[in-house]
Amino acid sequence: MKHRFAAIILGAAALVVPALAQPSPFPLPSPVEKELAARAANVTEVTLGKGMLDFAAKFMDNNDKDQVAVKQLIEGLDGIYVRDYEFDKEGQYSMDQLEQLRQAFGAPEWTPMVHVRESKGGESTDVMMKMVNGEPHGIFVLDAEAKELTIVLILGPIRMDQLSELKGLSGLSKLGDIENDKHPKDKTDDKAKKEGTQ
Amino acid sequence: MNRHFWIPLACAVLCVLLTVPWWVVRAAGGGGGFDGVVNSIESRYHQHAMRIPFMGLASVVAGAATHGGVGGVHVAEFEHFSAPVDGEELNRMVEEKLGQGWERMIRETSRHGGEQTLIFSHPEGKRMGLFIVDLDGAELNVVQVSVDADRLNETILKYKHHDGDNESDGKGTSD
Repeated sequence: MKHRFAAIILGAAALVVPALAQPSPFPLPSPVEKELAARAANVTEVTLGKGMLDFAAKFMDNNDKDQVAVKQLIEGLDGIYVRDYEFDKEGQYSMDQLEQLRQAFGAPEWTPMVHVRESKGGESTDVMMKMVNGEPHGIFVLDAEAKELTIVLILGPIRMDQLSELKGLSGLSKLGDIENDKHPKDKTDDKAKKEGTQ
Repeated sequence: MNRHFWIPLACAVLCVLLTVPWWVVRAAGGGGGFDGVVNSIESRYHQHAMRIPFMGLASVVAGAATHGGVGGVHVAEFEHFSAPVDGEELNRMVEEKLGQGWERMIRETSRHGGEQTLIFSHPEGKRMGLFIVDLDGAELNVVQVSVDADRLNETILKYKHHDGDNESDGKGTSD
């Protein structure tokens, strides 16, 4: 009888513990996130899991073409995560921290799509795409400006032609330009060169 | 003599036993959920919340008006909120009082200005619980609401179509 009771307890624990121990779907290194938040003057964090996206999709008007497009896009997504840090002065985040953020997406399924560096101001933009069987299943945007750092992570199957529909959502304005940058490119000092020619 | 003495004494002891733990918990900012968060803010920042009178009745009316779309409405308002707020501390306090099951969805915090926004969500079967703490200048509001998206959307669409009909009627008459 005791063994049976123990087996039931162990069985229940085996079911419950993995559920509780599930890692956060937001894969950014937590210490970096905390350090950035502690230094920033303004912090915006948006964390929309699948449940919340499904909930939000219910409020989209099926008679509105734009809203139907957004609904189709977000219904299939697993999550939308935005982190925006605004700083009072320059130099509040380090290159090492940026590298740690990029390394979080170093797995083979993540393909760098856009890589822009400006040596003059130290600004940079990275766009990485998660490809599963040739289809985009996630996008990561890291935009670093002198006094602002923006991170956008979208997980789940993404239709690139509908991605710009999300730019109206808080913190996702950076997505409006991604549709134009679908092809992989690597630019360094691009802006600086442009300035030099003018 | 004995009866007249012991019965009132027993009643008094019972009252003390029932009320003291409530006061101790309240004074310590204890308890969870909506009241726990409001009590914690009151005790941490030495501010007094104004609870909206007849909120229970308003919640029932809101539920009936939206056919169950909105329910469980709780509102507390802190006016003239002058205490400096550390966003990290406020977030930690709210998370702790809400307990497990609540996930932070939105956090907006400014170090210099008195602006803090926290929105938590909690799936409740078909419904979604939302908990909002918003500090804007000298006013801090704490709101909890439970929403049934399908029913609320039905109500919204009903009014939308009703307004649409009125607008088209108006156009018809003006032409």
